[in-house]
Formats: sequence, structure tokens, C-alpha cells
Amino acid sequence: MAEVSVTATLRERIKRLIVDSLHLDGTDPDSIEDGEPLFGEGLGLDSVDALELVVALEKEFGIKIKSNEMDRDAFSSVASLASFVEGRL
Amino acid sequence: MVRERCGPARRVAVTGVGAVSGFGWGIEPLWAGLSSGRAAIAGFGRFDHAGHRTHVAAEVPALPAALARRTSGRRLSIADRFALSAAFEALAAAGLPGDLAGEVAGVYFGSSTGGMWEGERFIAGLLTATPRLRTSLLASQQVNGPGDAVARRLGVSGPVETLSSACASGGLALGAALDALRAGEVDLALAGGADSLCEITYGGFNALRSVSEEPCRPFRAGRDGLSIGEGAVVLVLESEERALERGARPLAFLAGAGASCDAHHMTAPEPAGRGAAAAIRAALADAGLAPGEIDFVNAHATGTPLNDAAEWRAFVEVFGARAAGLPVTATKGSIGHLLGSSGAIEAVATVLCLRHGEVHPTPAGGEVDPELPVDLVLGSPRPLTARAALSTSLAFGGSNAALVFTRAGA
Amino acid sequence: MTGVAITGLGLVGAYGLGTEGLAAALASGAARGAEIDRSAGYHLPDSARSAILAGNLQLAPWVHPGEARRMSPPSKFAVAAARIALAQAGLTPGGGEPGEGEATAVVLATAFGPASFTDQLMRQIVREGPQAASPFYFSECVANAPAAQIAIAAGARGANVTVVEREAGVLLAVAKGAAEIASGRARRALVGAAEEIPPLVHALLDRFRALSRGAAGEEAGRPFDRRRDGFLAGEGAAVLVLEREEDALARGARPLARIAGWVRAFDPSAPATDWGTGAAGLALALDRGLARFGLDAGGFDRVVSGASGALAGDRLESAVLRAAWRDRPLPPVLAPKGVTGEYGGGFLSAAVLAAAGMPFGPTAGFSEPDPELGVIPHDGRPLAPPRRLLVTGLAAGGAAVWLALEAAGAAP
Repeated sequence: MAEVSVTATLRERIKRLIVDSLHLDGTDPDSIEDGEPLFGEGLGLDSVDALELVVALEKEFGIKIKSNEMDRDAFSSVASLASFVEGRL
Repeated sequence: MVRERCGPARRVAVTGVGAVSGFGWGIEPLWAGLSSGRAAIAGFGRFDHAGHRTHVAAEVPALPAALARRTSGRRLSIADRFALSAAFEALAAAGLPGDLAGEVAGVYFGSSTGGMWEGERFIAGLLTATPRLRTSLLASQQVNGPGDAVARRLGVSGPVETLSSACASGGLALGAALDALRAGEVDLALAGGADSLCEITYGGFNALRSVSEEPCRPFRAGRDGLSIGEGAVVLVLESEERALERGARPLAFLAGAGASCDAHHMTAPEPAGRGAAAAIRAALADAGLAPGEIDFVNAHATGTPLNDAAEWRAFVEVFGARAAGLPVTATKGSIGHLLGSSGAIEAVATVLCLRHGEVHPTPAGGEVDPELPVDLVLGSPRPLTARAALSTSLAFGGSNAALVFTRAGA
Repeated sequence: MTGVAITGLGLVGAYGLGTEGLAAALASGAARGAEIDRSAGYHLPDSARSAILAGNLQLAPWVHPGEARRMSPPSKFAVAAARIALAQAGLTPGGGEPGEGEATAVVLATAFGPASFTDQLMRQIVREGPQAASPFYFSECVANAPAAQIAIAAGARGANVTVVEREAGVLLAVAKGAAEIASGRARRALVGAAEEIPPLVHALLDRFRALSRGAAGEEAGRPFDRRRDGFLAGEGAAVLVLEREEDALARGARPLARIAGWVRAFDPSAPATDWGTGAAGLALALDRGLARFGLDAGGFDRVVSGASGALAGDRLESAVLRAAWRDRPLPPVLAPKGVTGEYGGGFLSAAVLAAAGMPFGPTAGFSEPDPELGVIPHDGRPLAPPRRLLVTGLAAGGAAVWLALEAAGAAP
């Protein structure tokens, strides 16, 4: 039970981070689906957004993300990002 | 009524060049360094890079005592000093005096940073509440600082402009000088650029994960980013007629210039290289040459996965089947990416290759990416008596510039 | 021979979107200054405090929020101004015939670039360390960001050039754009200037005593006035649509004005951050340059002067004008920078409005002539619409650019 709520909180934090760091003014973080594609379609973010998000994640969670870790799979959705971050904490 | 460019284009000659680069102060160390197949990209001391993601750059070595006087001035930035040194060297090489008051002369510069380093020191001082900050640090802060400094020191009274279109600036500046000379707006043009290492640019390109931890490897399989460099270059340009009249020997001719914009994305090149191809075709048309007449290319070739791939597509579009096997050199592998002034310093590298009858190498290391099968000159110089050469610049933000140089007779 | 027509003008800044607000301010001679935020600690205690700021512009009709989130302030200004200009010219950005994009160039001037983003980046690097640097701020802090954004917004795939020459930059951008068309390389050009004046830039200008500190009461730009003590900085963007005159006429567009020529020079006596004293050399260059276009000073019936209230700047400007006209009386001299401020495209807009025949009121900021200068700007009396105007731009640091404009209906 504790693990589920940690994950849920992590996903919420990541959604908030996406909205704040990418200046998605007017987007409610809760409106972003856990499994929704972030790049290309879905939220429609691009390569610079990805890099901006990485800097924000590094700051927020105190982790270091290497360039070769920024692949499509880890970053494809909030859910996959949360797993990725959790694995690094 | 606006007067159109009149008459057939007169040939515009390069009669003198000057440079400052990671290989040192002067054309001689630049050419020696380029020919050697060494890279001037290594650890550097301009600022503490421990906190940055990468730790190498092509830093200009300390100012030699012999050049101190000609580059002196209390409020000059580092980039200003690079520019002045290059300007004086170029004029001397062209057999011209260091005072252009009697000439109808213009200065056409490209830069991304200008006096940014000094500006950064000032802002950092403000942010850390450093007492007694020198306002003079700001005197040279402008991007147009080096170009204006050259004009001021040489007593220039004609058009003076600095262009700041990222990596295309130098190429565009040479294009502007070419136009001005052909139109008779000036009799003499000093074209070039100057940039110095700054934390904003070093940190910024690192934030984009565009910088390699190692010296860059353009067109190689597994290339992973660019290397930042600094320095300056000046080319003296004048009509062939005037050069010959006063007994100056052309080093090469600037035969044509072309420009375009991808209008695609702020940082990524248009992947099919269409914009770059358009700029190349425009330069060729301006020079009155067919693609088949280009004997080698000084490519933009930053060493990032995306740039080199897009540039390859542009080569394919313009050169067709010849693209594979087209001799290519990538000056950035040796002296790094000088940002705004890169197009200008690479133009000089191109001129030197034409002059010396050999294409300078890119430092060896790794195999050419089979997806981009250019004939990359690696490791040691390739003797080649080229008739015409192309120099390309594909900028951040999508601006593209291309220049065509032709060989001057022996 | 190719004439170059101005078929659209877009302006965003302190006077709103479009030129109505500016036109009203120029007619009444009233400037719209605002207070700068000095809380960041960049300013000296006795610094200037005001500027002609863009304020809270509603750019949404011209810049979609999805685009805007990725743009610096000058980029937003520039894209909005470009779209307004294209709309006025009756052109669809990105639409139109095949090959149109390839034949459209962009030439934009900026003096300081997207400086608020540069400021943010420095803060990140210094306070949090280099690895906190924002990729987004960096990609948008480069001087060419606004020009690149215009190209994307307008599908403009011709030459894309950003010029940096301080106060002369905007006229230089127009001259280069006109040259692209005159040379046949482009059929259309979007040209102008974009500037933001964040606290950092304002403080920087103040440290060089470039700004008015209110020696004569309130802070104001007082062109040619005896009490002038510096200029007011302006932010915003102006973009002109330039096209070949024959194309404009063929598609039934009504030009605002035409560009008759341009001259560029440099005063090597100028220090990097101030104006010099080389009026004779500049006047000579102006003379020679005008002659290349078959023009001479005597043929102008209006001057739109870049005088801004800068001490040495206005002095140099006056000396150049008097030398260029030799001992002949000057035509009426409009000096709009008391309203528009320096930078941000307001001055260019005022010049085009003047060429289009818009009436100007008394010169804002001016009330006491300076006997040393010998130039008295327009007092607001009604004037016949001008036929040919000389627009002047002298920069601190030495660059100089003049533009010759003609009324659209006037014979060339």
C-alpha cells in the first residue's frame, strides 16, 4: 500500500514538473494521463522540451541522467518516467 | 528608384588573411596545426569547468608578447583582441597599411559572443554582490564589439556591420562583403569574425546535450557532439582589378555566396537538408559554377548526429551520385566550433587549401559513418589542385550560408 | 530597375498592437513611459527609473499560446509584428504560391537580444551551477531567435539575417532587406527590429549614462533640446513587408511608401559606448552614398531624425545634418524618439507613418532649442505630405545608416 502511494505521488510530482518546467500554462497536471504519449503526439513535446524536462528532473530528484539514458522508452509517458526515476532514487 | 547591381560581376579576390585559433596567434600556426592532423581541443583554463558536463574546448593560447601592443586597449574584450590581431595580420599580408582612413572600406563581421565573456563576469559579479565591479567590463559587451573595434582602430569610414545569425554569421558576413564590393559600395572589405569562450555558450550547448566529452568526430560513426572553440579571422577582399593594379597577389577568389533558412525548428536542422541544399545551389549559381565543378567541400560538420546527417542529405541533393566520394574536410575537428565566426575561419581554411594545393585533414579517429559516405580527408593532408571549393554553414535556428571559392593562378 | 515598396507595417510595444496608438501619440506629442523594476539589484541607487515598456500586451490573436510558451519576449513581439504586417499587406504567411517561401528573406535587428533569458541563464549558472542551465532559455537567448521564429511562423526560407549595430541596427536591417530585393535574390523581405528592455539591460545602459535621469524634471528623451540628458529605452518590435514594387502593383497592393536608397558609414572617432565627433566624415559619406542612388540632400523635403536626447548623439546628428545641407535651411525635422524611445522598432514605424503622410504633432520632449546644435525639430504646425524623406540612424560606437523613403504616389 505504501509503495502504491509513493508511485502515485511520484507520478503527480512528475506531472506538475512537466507543466511547470515546460511552461504549459493553462494545463492542469491532473489532466495528463499516466500512459499518454508525451512526445510527438499526445502532449506533443519535442526534443528541447525533453532536455528541459531532464534538467528539471535532475534538480527535483537530485539524480543525474546521462545523454544515452534519454531514450524514447524511458521518456515515453509519465508512467515510464516515474519507473525510471524511481529506479534511480 | 533603387539601383540594381550593375554590370557583370567583377571577380573579388582574397588578398590577405589573418587568424587567431586554438593553434595559436597567426595564419602560420593555424595552417601548421590543420595540416598536422592534430586537434587543438583539450582541457582549458578560461573558466572553471569542473561543474560543466564536459571539460574540453579549443582555447586560444596566451597572447604572445610581440602582439601585445597592436591588440592593447583598456576596454577591449578578449574577442576584440583576437579580431584586431587577425585584422592587422591580414592587412600586412595584403600589403596594406594599418590605417584605412583614405580608403572606401567596410567591415563585415559575424559573431555570436562578441564581448559576452566580459559581460558574464560583470553579471556574475552583480549576482555574487562583488564590491567595486568595473563598469568597464561592460564597455565591450556588445556582439558588435569586435567588428566595431576593428573599424575604429583602422579608421574605417565605410559600412560596418556585425551579423549574429548563430553559426551562419561568418558565412553571411562574407556574402555581405562580396555584395558590397560587386556593387561598388566599397573598394576594400575586411570580412571575418571573432568569438571567445563563454560560460553561457559552453553551458548552453551542454544543456542541449550537444557537446562531446571528447574532441568532436565529424562524419564518424558514433559521433556524439560538437566541441566549442574560440578565435578570430579576417579576410581582406577587393576586386581582382584593383589587386593587380597595386601589385597584390590574390590568394583565391570569393566567387559566390548563397543563403537560405530551414524555417523548421529552433535547434534541430531540417533532416532532409533542403535548406542547406538551397543555400549551396544559390552559391553555385552566384559563382556561375555547376556542382560538378566543386573539387572539395569544407563542411559545416559539427560532429553532432543530426547536423552531419542533414548536411549529408544536402550534399546528396546537390551533388547526386558524386556526394559519395566527394572530398570533404571538417575544420571543426581541429579547431572546434567557433560559433558565429566559424563560417569565416572555415572560409580561410578553404582559401589556404586552395592556395597550398592540398586539402587539410580532420584529426583521425573512428570510421566514417557508412550512412554518410563522404570522402573525409583524415589524418594527413590530401594533395589536390582544386579549381573550386565549397564552404558550408548550417546554423542553429535554421539559417544556412554557403560560399564558393576558386583558385587563383600560380 | 527594381523599386522596393513597403506594403505592410506591424508594430507591437508600449502603444499597443498596430500603429493606431503610436500615431495618436505622435500626433499629440505624448510619451508613454513606465517604471522599470529595479528590485533585482542591477541598478545603481541614483539610476534612471523609466523606459517605454511593452507592458501586458495581449498577443494571443497573433501568437498562439502553444507557440508562445517556447518564445522569448522579443521573439513573441517579432512574430506578432510580422503577422500583423503580413495581414496589412494582404499576404498569408506560409500560404501563397510555390516558391514564395524560398523567395522571402528575413532581416531583423536587435541591440541586446533576448536579454531576460540571458539573465536567467547566468543566474542558473552562477547560483545553481552550470548543469542547471535551461536548454530552453539557451535556445531562445541567441540574438537570432526572433528572426528564426519569424521564419518558422511565416514559412520564410530565403536568407535569414540578424544584425547587431545598436541604434543603427534597425535601418541597417531595412537597407539589407531592400538590397536582397534589389539584387533579385529575394522577392519579398520581412525586415525590422525586436527588443526587450529587462532590468539587466536598463541597468547596463544606465551605467553608461545613456539614459535620461530626469535632469530637467521628469525622465524623458528630449531630442535636440538644450536640457537633454539621455534617451528612454523602448521595447517591442516592428516588422515591414518589403516587396518588389512591380509585384505589389501587380497584385493590387497599396504601398505605404517606397525605399529610394540607403547609405552606410562609420565614425571611427566614436568610443565603443558613445557617439563621436566625426560629423564631417559622416556627411561626406552621406553625400557620396546618396549620389549612388541619384539623390542629394537638397531633394529631401522631410527629415525623420534618430535624435533621441542623447547628449553626444544629438550633437553629432545636428552637425551631420547641417554639414549635409551645407548652408541651406533644413527641411522640417521630425524627431519621434521622445515618443517611441530608442530600440524596439517604434522609430522605424514612425518613419514609415511619416512617409505615408501621417501628420505629426509637436516634438515630444522638446521645448528649449540648443544654440550649439542649430536644429529645431518640428513644432506641430500642419505640413504638406512629404515626397522624399531622409531617415537617420547614428549608433553609439560609430555605425551610421540613413534611409531614403519616398511617398508611394510620388514620382521616383
